[in-house]
Amino acid sequence: MTPLLTINSIHSFYGKIEALKGIDLHVQEGEIVALLGSNGAGKSTTLKTISGIVRPTSGDVLLHGKSLVGWAPHQIVEAGIIHVPEGRRIFAGLTVRENLELGGFTLRKEKAAIGEGIEQAFALFPRLKERSEQMGGTLSGGEQQMLAICRGLMARPKLLMLDEPSMGLAPIIVVEIMNIIREINRQGTTILLIEQNAKAALKLAHRGYVMETGHIVMENKADVLRTDDSIVKAYLGA
Amino acid sequence: MDILVQTLADGLVIGAFYSLIALGYTMVFGIIKLLNFAHGDLYMLGAFVGYTLLSVLGKDSSGAGLMGILIVLLLAMVIVGVIGMGIERVAYRPLLLAPRLSILITAIGVSLFLENGSMIIWGAQYQVYPLQFSHDGISLLGAKITYVQIGLVLISALLMLSLHLFINRSLYGKAMRAIALDQTACHLMGIHVHKVIGLTFFIGASLAAGAGTMAGAYYGTVNFMMGFIIGLKAFTAAVLGGLVAFRARCWAGCCSG
Repeated sequence: MTPLLTINSIHSFYGKIEALKGIDLHVQEGEIVALLGSNGAGKSTTLKTISGIVRPTSGDVLLHGKSLVGWAPHQIVEAGIIHVPEGRRIFAGLTVRENLELGGFTLRKEKAAIGEGIEQAFALFPRLKERSEQMGGTLSGGEQQMLAICRGLMARPKLLMLDEPSMGLAPIIVVEIMNIIREINRQGTTILLIEQNAKAALKLAHRGYVMETGHIVMENKADVLRTDDSIVKAYLGA
Repeated sequence: MDILVQTLADGLVIGAFYSLIALGYTMVFGIIKLLNFAHGDLYMLGAFVGYTLLSVLGKDSSGAGLMGILIVLLLAMVIVGVIGMGIERVAYRPLLLAPRLSILITAIGVSLFLENGSMIIWGAQYQVYPLQFSHDGISLLGAKITYVQIGLVLISALLMLSLHLFINRSLYGKAMRAIALDQTACHLMGIHVHKVIGLTFFIGASLAAGAGTMAGAYYGTVNFMMGFIIGLKAFTAAVLGGLVAFRARCWAGCCSG
């Protein structure tokens, strides 16, 4: 079976630094795949390359076997890949509802779909419904992360890429977010997840990749990675 | 007392023009953080395009009727709107990622280009608008307010109201506000950012052109330098109204008048 997403020996520059030195990875339909590694390993650049914000100097990104290299970011979104960026990047000066509406920008021809998506988002996170007319910037960090995830889901992606959804959140909120990610996956969305919180990510994921200074140094099932002593010491902490 | 009311009424008309120009000014500033020095010249261009259209129209119908004037106004707005989009595409888009100063200097260049281009096309002397408004009107507290003045203020108010609704209610309007906040995040939402920026320039330019045509008809004469001063004044109105708040801008424009 052709994987949903395939990346073939991608090289990308972040400014003048070669952040990715030949990355290969693939994501099968229905999977949760975790991308782990310390700061500066190139995880975020990998996602940015997939979503078209960074152009690779060589290599290929394939969705269902079709190359996406050179596409504009909005075309890649239309193709079905959504990237929820690091730091959430919600629109602070727009209301929660407007944030969600903009998430459905690619569905703008079907008004009903946008309304439906908003209802689904509110069902997933009832707290967003209470605050639907509030400015995005007035939400707490956890709520903003929920909003960012929902905003990404509005476009009905095949692949949802989450960049550090647990960043700066209280442990109890992290658990909640992780459960929601699992739920989203159960409903049929494939997920590529970047996490510093490797323990939490590997509990959730089916497979994992470990990155180090622009290379992928390990790939395995999440259960194996979780119990691998060298990984635990090097990347996951005691 | 009558002088005060008269001045207020006259000021309101000019203020309406300032508001329209200031709106476009701030929309462009909001979305790509550019002080578009060429904006006043789009106003001038609108006046001249309206002048040419009226001259053409006036020949076969011996003085355009009210409908004719409205059609000319709309046509001038569309034509200058497209010119505005062209300016963005040619002059500003290549510099979107450059330091702000480069794009600012480019804006001055565009301004000079438009001014001198118009001088070559339409000549350096004052042109008389081929249109005479009646001076009928009503008396209010001893001041004379013509129907034309009322009409101009109403048209301006209508334009401002539709813009207000567009920005707040439509998805493209929301996308504009979102781009002003975070361009990268907009890319990731699947928003065609360049298209929306182009649309912003179209709206900004056509608002300025609308003001230009109306001002040309109101004052009766147009000149290729008329955009320079008005650009500065609209900038003042924009700063006074705040470069972000919408309603404040409309009021500030009227006050400047």
